[in-house]
Amino acid sequence: MSLLALRRLSRHYAGIAAVDRVDLDVPGGGVHALIGPNGAGKTTLFNLISGLVAPSAGTIVLDGTDVTRRGPEVRARLGIARTFQNIRIFGAMTALENVLTGLHPRFASGLGAVLVGLRRVRREERQALDRAGEALALVGLQRLAGAPAATLSYGDARRLEIARAIAGAPRLLLLDEPAAGMNPAETMALAALVRLIAQAGTTVLLVEHDMRFVMGLADSVTVLNFGRCIFHGAAEAARRDPAVIEAYLGRRG
Amino acid sequence: MTLPPFLADLIWTYQNVIVALGVNGLLALAMYVVLAAGQLSLGQAAFMGLGAYSSALLSLRLQLPFTAVLPLSVVAPVGFALLVGGPTLRLSGVYLAIATIGLGEVLRAVYLNVDVLGGALGLSGIPEAAPIWLIYLILAVALLLLWRVGRSHIGRAMEAMRVDAAAAAAMGVDVRRYRLGVLLASAALAGLAGALSAHATDFIGPNDYGFEPAVTILSFALLGGIGSPFGPVLGAWVLTLLPELLRGFADVRLVLNGVVIVLAVLFLPRGLLAWRMRRIAA
Repeated sequence: MSLLALRRLSRHYAGIAAVDRVDLDVPGGGVHALIGPNGAGKTTLFNLISGLVAPSAGTIVLDGTDVTRRGPEVRARLGIARTFQNIRIFGAMTALENVLTGLHPRFASGLGAVLVGLRRVRREERQALDRAGEALALVGLQRLAGAPAATLSYGDARRLEIARAIAGAPRLLLLDEPAAGMNPAETMALAALVRLIAQAGTTVLLVEHDMRFVMGLADSVTVLNFGRCIFHGAAEAARRDPAVIEAYLGRRG
Repeated sequence: MTLPPFLADLIWTYQNVIVALGVNGLLALAMYVVLAAGQLSLGQAAFMGLGAYSSALLSLRLQLPFTAVLPLSVVAPVGFALLVGGPTLRLSGVYLAIATIGLGEVLRAVYLNVDVLGGALGLSGIPEAAPIWLIYLILAVALLLLWRVGRSHIGRAMEAMRVDAAAAAAMGVDVRRYRLGVLLASAALAGLAGALSAHATDFIGPNDYGFEPAVTILSFALLGGIGSPFGPVLGAWVLTLLPELLRGFADVRLVLNGVVIVLAVLFLPRGLLAWRMRRIAA
């Protein structure tokens, strides 16, 4: 059974179908890419999967659980984590506090326990600090743990967002254009990081325009055009698929 | 408890100001809890009024002792917050501000027109049962609790949703639940402040809880800054003392008060106390 199953998923905006009856199965494990020309509906699809946008029709099933009507916070608890195309870290917080925020579902203590200052709260916080430290180390940001997130460079901010998303060891990680604005060396380091995340057991679904990055990394590729799924299969096969070539380059003659 | 004579004189002379500093500090915290979670909810004066009127009635009509009245004073504001919470949770930003100010005006109209609430004359003869030390004890406990919450994962979630509610939700923060939670906390704090002030000054009237106090309470937090719970309390103290210090300027003192707020917004966008508390609880 697939980890994520989308069935006839649609999202309309005033008559325009941003996502149009998409069927998609993401198997557990590995790296999967979602590509397509600008405006194809990739980010809308990510927003539908993470629950920030409600679908007009269709269903979203995560590991056998129908989450179509569940809010984003429930899906986060069920193991869907994401980054954003336009980096959305919490600027005034330190890098470490950002990653700790990504661990929010791990805290079982409620308001009462915090108000009385139970020892359990401190223990949870220490465990979270350990995990957050590991996540920061994995993306190479441990020395900037105490820096306000707003002061980080562009590449560091992207890595911080990934650390925040993976700290809770999600089942499915959605990366929205992780390599955007990165130089070739940074892109290579990012590819290595994504492979590492996948090896650790997190299934990665990523949107990316950098084709070399996608081809070198993805086990399978899904191509969207005008909100519809026009190809799904191995990365190599996508390059030779006539429908995909037409979507990107137009029809010959 | 015996105080040295000079201190006792000082407290007696400035009793009203000392009470106002404590009560306004609590109101500033009521503002802080909603702003800290990104909710521009301006119902604090209304919640204060509910606390003041309900506690005054309990004292005057039922002759309940203050030790029973004070905890009961949070019931009406928290109940009202629960009632309006559902419909207003969908709102944010300036729309929420307008809606909550409107609710305050509705309550003011109720106070003005219901006989048992004294109409325009308000309620007087409320027993002066709230000692100054109790006001400051409650303020100190509120500061301590908000400090603890602010350092914890709950404080991080609140800051996250203030900065970016959608991103916070994607991290697993139940934004709706938190919005209701901060509204209830705000109502409880403002209700306590209302009961304390009603039982420290012996008179309350409908205009004590209208639009003007709602904006004044907001300016406490804006002036002080919301990087920690101490900022709003500092702001409240400055804005409470300023009119007293400016007494010599008589007619223009409200203008000077306004000038201070404008200057603070322009030149100190993060408030007088720009320092941001660390949000790690270990």
